Amino acid sequence: VKPFAYIDASNEGEAVAALVPERGHVLPLAGGMDLLALMKDYIAQPERLVNVKRLDATISVPDQGVIRIGAATRLADLAAHEAIGRMYPALRHAAIDVGTPQIRNVGTVGGNIMQRPRCWYFRNEEFNCLKKGGARCFAVDGENQYHAIFGESPCHIVHPSSLAVPVIAYGGRFRVVGPDGEREIEADKFFQMPDRNMYGETALEPNELLTHVILPRPVNVKAAHYEVKFKQSHDWPIAMASVVLTMNGASVQSARVVLGAVAPVPWRVPAAEAVLAGKTIDANVAAQAAEAAVQNARPMSRNGYKVQVARVALQRAIMAAVA
Amino acid sequence: VAAAQVVGKPHTRLDGPLKVSGRAKYSYDIKRPGLLYGRILRSPHPHARVVSIDLGPAQKAPGVKAALAIVEPGKAVMYQGDEVAAVAAATEEQANDALRLIAVTYDVLPHIATEALALRPDAPPVFEGGNIKQGNTDETGDLDAGFKAAAHIIEATYDTQVQTHVCLETHGCVCEWEGDKLTAWVSTQAVHGTREGFAESLQIPQANVRVICEYMGGGFGSKFGPDVQGVVCAKLAKAAAAPVTLMLDRKEEHLASGNRPSSAAKIRAGVAADGTLTAFDAETWGTGGAGVGAGFPLPYIYVFPNRRRRHRDVYTNAGPARAMRAPGHPQGCFTTETLMDELADRVRMDPLAFRLKNLPPDAPNRMWRKYFPIAAERIGWSRRHPTGDSTPGPIKRGMGCAANQWGGGGRGTKAHVEILPDGGVVVRCGTQDIGTGTRTIVAMVAAETLGVPYEAIKPEIGDSLYPFSGGSGGSTTSASVTPAIRVTAGKALDALALRVAPKLGVEPAALVASGGRIAVKGNESKGLSWKEACRLLGTEPVSVDGEWEAGLSASGTSGVQFAEVAVDVETGITRVERVVCVQDCGLIIDPMTAESQVNGGIVMGVNWALFEHRILDRNTGQMVNPNMEWYLLAGMSDVPKIEVVLMNQPERGVIGLGEPPTISTAAAIANAVANAIGVRIRSLPLTPDRILTALAEQRAGGTL
Repeated sequence: VKPFAYIDASNEGEAVAALVPERGHVLPLAGGMDLLALMKDYIAQPERLVNVKRLDATISVPDQGVIRIGAATRLADLAAHEAIGRMYPALRHAAIDVGTPQIRNVGTVGGNIMQRPRCWYFRNEEFNCLKKGGARCFAVDGENQYHAIFGESPCHIVHPSSLAVPVIAYGGRFRVVGPDGEREIEADKFFQMPDRNMYGETALEPNELLTHVILPRPVNVKAAHYEVKFKQSHDWPIAMASVVLTMNGASVQSARVVLGAVAPVPWRVPAAEAVLAGKTIDANVAAQAAEAAVQNARPMSRNGYKVQVARVALQRAIMAAVA
Repeated sequence: VAAAQVVGKPHTRLDGPLKVSGRAKYSYDIKRPGLLYGRILRSPHPHARVVSIDLGPAQKAPGVKAALAIVEPGKAVMYQGDEVAAVAAATEEQANDALRLIAVTYDVLPHIATEALALRPDAPPVFEGGNIKQGNTDETGDLDAGFKAAAHIIEATYDTQVQTHVCLETHGCVCEWEGDKLTAWVSTQAVHGTREGFAESLQIPQANVRVICEYMGGGFGSKFGPDVQGVVCAKLAKAAAAPVTLMLDRKEEHLASGNRPSSAAKIRAGVAADGTLTAFDAETWGTGGAGVGAGFPLPYIYVFPNRRRRHRDVYTNAGPARAMRAPGHPQGCFTTETLMDELADRVRMDPLAFRLKNLPPDAPNRMWRKYFPIAAERIGWSRRHPTGDSTPGPIKRGMGCAANQWGGGGRGTKAHVEILPDGGVVVRCGTQDIGTGTRTIVAMVAAETLGVPYEAIKPEIGDSLYPFSGGSGGSTTSASVTPAIRVTAGKALDALALRVAPKLGVEPAALVASGGRIAVKGNESKGLSWKEACRLLGTEPVSVDGEWEAGLSASGTSGVQFAEVAVDVETGITRVERVVCVQDCGLIIDPMTAESQVNGGIVMGVNWALFEHRILDRNTGQMVNPNMEWYLLAGMSDVPKIEVVLMNQPERGVIGLGEPPTISTAAAIANAVANAIGVRIRSLPLTPDRILTALAEQRAGGTL
């Protein structure tokens, strides 16, 4: 580990003041579940870490208006939160499915959203891949069984955050603070494809900090999240899906459908949303929507099976939402 | 040992509380005053010539106390992870940082990443003497006649992946010099063998080396000597004049500390209409990486009267194989047992009946005809449906089975027993407990012999200062150690009896030790408590040496395993729900640690069946999953319900059990998966990818 300075920020102002515009030089440290491993593997070599664990770690559920989740909230606390479980079952499900109890007890909501890709070419120092300034994506003609089936980007990572998937499905936003104050970004617009942003995965500038997840109040909503994992203990999903249906009586007024672990960003699928809108959900409608969702999949040489897995994840999420 | 008081009864591990509370000190935990941290720089290239190594910048780095080159300039590195240079520094982080300052110039050479590439005629010649080593041809009977007699012939290729040992405690040691004497705390399966290894590599007398391994976190065949890292650790400690710890990290462990070779078998096999096997013709190959073979037994167990097998070892630029828990057997078992199910399907026989028809006759070391029905009854084989679960819904269930055999058996081991005047008993033996419970059974056998509770015994093992015992490999530890303890404790008791007999006015031979007393045979009320008896020793303890004798152990075990699985045919995810194991190992010393061995073997088998896979990037030859994240390993929720039926064979003596329980698990699982989904997958691991692909091919009108 390259030696680094450590700044313990007690509020947002101190944290932001410690950040710099150049990417990779100063990094915020929350649970450290991702960052410390990146540093030990010499993938990240920051000169300074800014501890943000002391920033807002609360979940506020007012009687009216939006729900705010502090980025420093631990995943275990999110998963155990009564109102979150009741109002946002898809988010609770995603939180429970992250990693292991140890990871959920230390890892934070902000860390889950901001974690770097798990791509094994990115994570192993030997491979100087596009994300590390190299000239090629090794997955293209290499071992791509866990890589993207959507996006046709030069870099074929899948975005690892599972919380991001339901947050987008619920129409959430992220609050961000930076040197010029605060702003809110729609979760749907927050994540960026590699052709736009090769060295990060989000719209967050290096001198900005993600501070809150903001969720609209669900009204007449049915929702579910489904993950397909090979191992039942501690594994990354092969594919996952979140579905949020705004209901009009027995039929769907509008739907938001997001797939995860299939593209460099959480992958919203308007084609599936269009299939669901106006319908009464049954197995047939779910299958049609799931089929529409994977219609434009472009699997690589060894990940064709992920198309089927993504299809099934979505189909099951839809059925779980109305169950 | 018909009237055994201790042996054969379940005993918890003596050192269990120490281990779960962290008081047991593993090599990793040894902290010596002034300890430095050693780290090894390894080749990032699968094949390269080292042109130059400049240690200078590393030597000047903060905290660095010693640095050395491991490979000489001009020599080649043959796989990613091959050792190049090393440093020792005050902290582990400083050592890691310093490694990156060592300037190595490589002349990168052509490499071979996969077996398929090695077998291509245009493969670059990488290995001296060729990339392929043609092995022997084994031939028995008349193949042509065998195939003529066949009503059905199957031609198929079966293959298995490279699996690494993934010892939870990585390889490594702590080395400390006192003058010209070396003490090494090593995570090892052989304290005596490792002492020899250090002496030979460092060119010092064996008498100057002491190897200690009180506790260790698994070896599975990969930890028999000091290895490069041990020798490097000793050299760094010498150069820095300070103790050095050098434990490998998980990545190094995957790359360079050994593995189970891959296997492939292209088979043509025939079966007569009545289900009798007639012919077997196999071309096999596999890779043990850089310059190491990949043999495995084939056909496994079943009787093919006419057979031929031709084998080739294929070399690749990958970490070299080492012995791994039942070397070769899981590969041979998977290949043969999956073929057996396919042949049974062709003649429309139940796989169990088909096996019983083609097994060799039972003998003490091959009891499959007896064990298969016991296990079948236990798992409920009568519930098994023919191939392909027709239950509606995505979850399909199935059952499969497989047999195994192994050797085990004992060999020369010496022991020392002291009976102290205060009644204490010290048993010393230079064996080691690699996680099997050796320390506990040493105490049990001494307790049995001396008639005292096992907690009263102080077993001392894991030190090369103690009397010689061999390496813990080949499932030989129990059968080597327990006879030596039995004999030596018996001699100690005889010596104690000499002191007690006059007091009781009888001949020594008239005494028996039992229930914490030494008493007159047939007149047990006449005697002394153990403590009273020992007090007669005065100031001079009983101190005797003894050694292994024939007659208390044997070799040759057999067993069967059945698996029940649930496969989600929409996602390709397999869950192993249940494994039933019927297994013998001769005389069972401690049923509890024996069962624990079986549990561990089965978990390892589940891992090999479904999860574990060393994946090298096909283009660069570098491992993409040298971790425990993408190198998948079962967690608690992935472990099936395991039911162990141990078949005691007390008349045979002690045999050993470490390896056989891992042999059949994957074969039984693969057969269960085929039974569940109606499609045969002839490759391990059974990933969602393979299962979905096979099902899609079947829907598209493929075979079976």
